[in-house]
Amino acid sequence: MRDVWIAGAGMTRVGRRTEGLRDLMAEAAHAALATASIERPDAIVVAAMNPEEFLGDGNFASNVATHLGFADVPTIRIETATSSGAAGFYAGFAQVAAGLARRVLVVGGEKMTHLPTPRVSELIGRSIDPYERSYGATMPALAGLVTRALMARQPIGEREISQVSVKNHAHAARNPYAHFREPVSLERVMSSRMVADPLRLLHCCPISDGAAAVVLTAERTPVRVAGIGQGTDTLAIRHRYDLTSFRATQAAARAAFAMAGFGPARVDFAEVHDAFAPFELISLEDLGLVPPGKAVRATMHGETALDGRLPINPSGGLKARGHPLAATGLAQLVECVWQLTGRAEGRQVDGRVALAHSIGGLATNNWVTILESA
Amino acid sequence: MIETIAASRCRRCGLVVAPPAPYCPWHPVAMTPTTVAGVGEIVSFTTLHSPPEGFRSPLQLALVALEGGARFLCHGAETRSLKIGSRVAIEAVDEVYYFAHLGAVDRARLFWRRAGHAGDRVNAITRSVVKKLWRGGSGGASG
Repeated sequence: MRDVWIAGAGMTRVGRRTEGLRDLMAEAAHAALATASIERPDAIVVAAMNPEEFLGDGNFASNVATHLGFADVPTIRIETATSSGAAGFYAGFAQVAAGLARRVLVVGGEKMTHLPTPRVSELIGRSIDPYERSYGATMPALAGLVTRALMARQPIGEREISQVSVKNHAHAARNPYAHFREPVSLERVMSSRMVADPLRLLHCCPISDGAAAVVLTAERTPVRVAGIGQGTDTLAIRHRYDLTSFRATQAAARAAFAMAGFGPARVDFAEVHDAFAPFELISLEDLGLVPPGKAVRATMHGETALDGRLPINPSGGLKARGHPLAATGLAQLVECVWQLTGRAEGRQVDGRVALAHSIGGLATNNWVTILESA
Repeated sequence: MIETIAASRCRRCGLVVAPPAPYCPWHPVAMTPTTVAGVGEIVSFTTLHSPPEGFRSPLQLALVALEGGARFLCHGAETRSLKIGSRVAIEAVDEVYYFAHLGAVDRARLFWRRAGHAGDRVNAITRSVVKKLWRGGSGGASG
């Protein structure tokens, strides 16, 4: 297997965007290609979760390639629900690692804010097991079940969960690409309206538009892909015996660290899939970044803040940078590249090893990617 | 009456799923049809205040560990006195399953069943439910 490096990274501002998805993807893709000083990649991977239903567009690989001016470049589309961006990165990585292509553009994005919220919620919910969906289960509903089980297992209260939102909003306030640029107080999080008891509105990520892209190459650059791993679990939440940790994250982390040849102790900072604030606490432990049962303590002691020992979600995370579905896994990696190369102005952290963690569906198809400064 | 819920069991690992599925999620092996009794314990629950299109707010959802091994997602009318570990009965209304917290009336009914048909499997389950209820005293108002 060849070493794979990151030659360029770019993304759009995340939020409520008036542009179409193809234009957002073009903005991110051309920014990534420009930083890589590459005009034309050998291959393209497009990540999009559900443009068929959000937009009514199909044949999306060719659709995007033609729009970008690359009608003659071999292009595929990749989808693993909300982790599609990370899966697209894997597909590009595999092409370069196998020697099938030398330079691959991976671009992911989603456009949703033009639709009413109940409609978006229903469409995202189609990634849930059909039987559970027939009972009205949505992602927040299942996350509510997970959160209540977590609060019963560990001494975790509303305050501890809310602190994750407060921290990630504070990070996003320093990120010009973030959906939310305003800090929020603990009181405001804890008094926001109930969405899926015990989850409140400000424990949940927003509905966002946006796109992100990276260029992967076989030639040496300042950032190497040290490891990547996928982990899976049952589609139905009722077939799992433990709601308070995600098998898919644990399996993905094991595979990624095995490829990297080192363990979680080497990770300096991470972008973690906090679609719901308690997921950050669960994931820190599943990834091995903190010992079992220590995520709350690390969070409450400021260890995971921008100036802490182990900054988590310096971008603001899904909670505050925003969660444009298939863009998210790539936006996490763009943030890691910017941090590793000293280009995260206003929120720069120190570190040589970065980890990105992306959850697909309700943790049915997860990815862990580890990047390292050369 | 205690509901009988259609389920299936994996020949390889013994996993029971409800409703029945052709294959075990973990093994490419055809599952054997079985049934499970509609009584169990709350694993977790939530009240959804922004339900998807086609559902009324607030929507009560619970994940229940059935006595027969399967875990089951269902609706409920009330979660106010509910706790993780609460004993609930599952009932079907128009083929949609609802959980109900086992209250005084339910307990009386379960006792009656025990007296009526001693020995069968459902009644063995019922006895243990009733015992736990009386010991733990967690019986709130019936949902």
